[in-house]
Amino acid sequence: MDEVLGALRPAPYTEEPVRFTGHGGDYFRIWIVNLLLTIVTLGIYSPWAKVRRLQYFYRHTELAGSSFDFHGKPLRILIGRAIALAMVLVYNIAVRMQSVWTLVVIAVIALIAPWLLRNSLRFRLYNTSWRGTRFHFRGSVGGAYRVFLLNGVLTVITLYLLAPFAHQRLKAWQHNNSFFGKTPFSFRAGVGDFYLTYLLVFLGVAMFTTVAVTGGLNGILAPLMKQGGVLNPKAFFVSLATLWAALILIGLSIGSIFYAALTNLIWNNTGLGEHQIDCQISWPRMVWIAFSNFVLVVVTLGFFTPWAMVRLYRFQAESFTLLRTSDLTEFVDAEPEAVGALGEEAASAFDFDIAL
Amino acid sequence: MTLEARYFDGRTTRLSTVDLSLADDHLVVAGDGIALRIPFAEVTVDEKLGRAARRLRFAGGAFCEVSDLAALDTLLASAGHRDGLVDRLQRHMNVALPAAAICIALAAATWRWGLPWLATIAAHHMPPAIAKTLTDQTLRVLDRGQVLLPSKLTEDRQADITARYRALRLPEGGTPAGKLLFRESPVLGANAFTLPDGTVILLDGLVTGLGDDGEILAVLSHELGHAQERHGLQLLLRSSAVGAFWTLYLGDVSQLLAAAPTVLMHAHYSRELEQQADDFGAALLEANGMAPSLLADALEKLATLHHGPAETSAYLASHPSTPDRIASLRSR
Repeated sequence: MDEVLGALRPAPYTEEPVRFTGHGGDYFRIWIVNLLLTIVTLGIYSPWAKVRRLQYFYRHTELAGSSFDFHGKPLRILIGRAIALAMVLVYNIAVRMQSVWTLVVIAVIALIAPWLLRNSLRFRLYNTSWRGTRFHFRGSVGGAYRVFLLNGVLTVITLYLLAPFAHQRLKAWQHNNSFFGKTPFSFRAGVGDFYLTYLLVFLGVAMFTTVAVTGGLNGILAPLMKQGGVLNPKAFFVSLATLWAALILIGLSIGSIFYAALTNLIWNNTGLGEHQIDCQISWPRMVWIAFSNFVLVVVTLGFFTPWAMVRLYRFQAESFTLLRTSDLTEFVDAEPEAVGALGEEAASAFDFDIAL
Repeated sequence: MTLEARYFDGRTTRLSTVDLSLADDHLVVAGDGIALRIPFAEVTVDEKLGRAARRLRFAGGAFCEVSDLAALDTLLASAGHRDGLVDRLQRHMNVALPAAAICIALAAATWRWGLPWLATIAAHHMPPAIAKTLTDQTLRVLDRGQVLLPSKLTEDRQADITARYRALRLPEGGTPAGKLLFRESPVLGANAFTLPDGTVILLDGLVTGLGDDGEILAVLSHELGHAQERHGLQLLLRSSAVGAFWTLYLGDVSQLLAAAPTVLMHAHYSRELEQQADDFGAALLEANGMAPSLLADALEKLATLHHGPAETSAYLASHPSTPDRIASLRSR
């Protein structure tokens, strides 16, 4: 049977699914102790909590019987966070001042942001390993200015018509400059693929929103209008709460559908040496997990968070399969690098998201 | 004893299955063509995180991965290794549950004392421009939403009340600086409230319901207390802090929580804030040669005016334990 299937396939790939072996209950114990330490140290302990979180998830993520690992040092992350915090403070003060300095500071931050984002990618990949071999990111600073600053400006001045183009250029730059040991990653998806995916997601969301607005919103708001000018506070609040829940559901759905479609597109077109990657994130399940997690986290006042994280991560990780052409023993590590954590921490402090 | 492990050299992804054992303070790694004897003091032991395979790291990047955590614990114990404190703490439910309880207690204490304390300080240092912007926005939302309608009182009546309001001498000197605005509101009925910059909104229902000018001034004195202590800003700051926390915590969607006008309209002043405003109002009335009991009279009348369904009487809902307050004002 395997031989028949093997003959039908374009290349002799063997499927190597990603497995996640973590448990919410186990992670809860780690999470709560580190949360408490973070609170009583007024946040100073948070880098140690972050390293444990990443290590918990990486070490429970298995490929071919071996797990991933995270090697970031908490002290470097703490220094990175301190510098990032100082930058956020300067930025906020500058924005308040409403003077020439506001423009100067915004310009300086715009100029160093691409460099920080590139360093962020370097830090995250360099500190990730599988079977003791590390990942690397070798994108140039010039490339970072092109994909973040130039394409960012182009996207804004074309009123986001170039957003799929900019996204494709970013992912191509990111994946074509990533390595596992000395083995390069490759990226095949073209600009057309990105426009098609964006268009499909956009059409789906537009249809869904139209139905929701004409059907649902009328149902919610109609009772308000029929009061003959007198607002019944109870009906008002019921309507407001329903509207609020509907907005959250729509917001989470759009985010999840977009995430699923783009992640599938990006990773199904990514290769590692001779191997290929298969990513099948199901969007209805993604929407369900995002929404149920949100509700459970809110009603448990946050205490469901560890379970929510494990659940979401398991679903995402187990959507990946490596289509391997060898027994995966051929990878060789490259020379060690000196990589600081400032980029990653500053990027997260300013909420630059490059997760997709 | 021996223990099965996976050995990696730290340079390639080649996997070797080896046996680990201890001999004279040395870790012996043997099998699959590997034969190492490493002083145990030079071995770095990773934390035990959940059920993940644990790693023993050697100098130069090589390491062993062990899945049998219980057997590894035995080996580590016989080597005299002791896991770090946090590492041990984060394994047990009988640590996790008290830790959760302490987190809840700290959060509750922050909510009960920390947040009001910070909000009081911040409210008194808020630049007037920000308070004015917030007030303008809130008023615009309420006016556009038909929650507030133009007042039906005659201009003479409005001018009369405004003049008496303006003539009030504040205990620390001077006269009320904030605006006094007249509105009519079917939703809010007999009511008066204060906006962040100290602007007081007086509703027709309250003016006609009370009738007596002394009592109207008593309610305005109470509102001036809220303005003086910047209670509106304090509530806004508190709910923004809570909103900011949830936004950080849950991500972008909860930015929908940021609805300042709703918060202001349905702000429930705490007992302490009401007490502060009552005290200020009473002192203000006395300083102007009026009886503090006027405020008690006003509260009594409002209580009878609002004998309809409880949820429609916003003024009373936001002013807890009216009988207690009346009694306290009368005993002055």
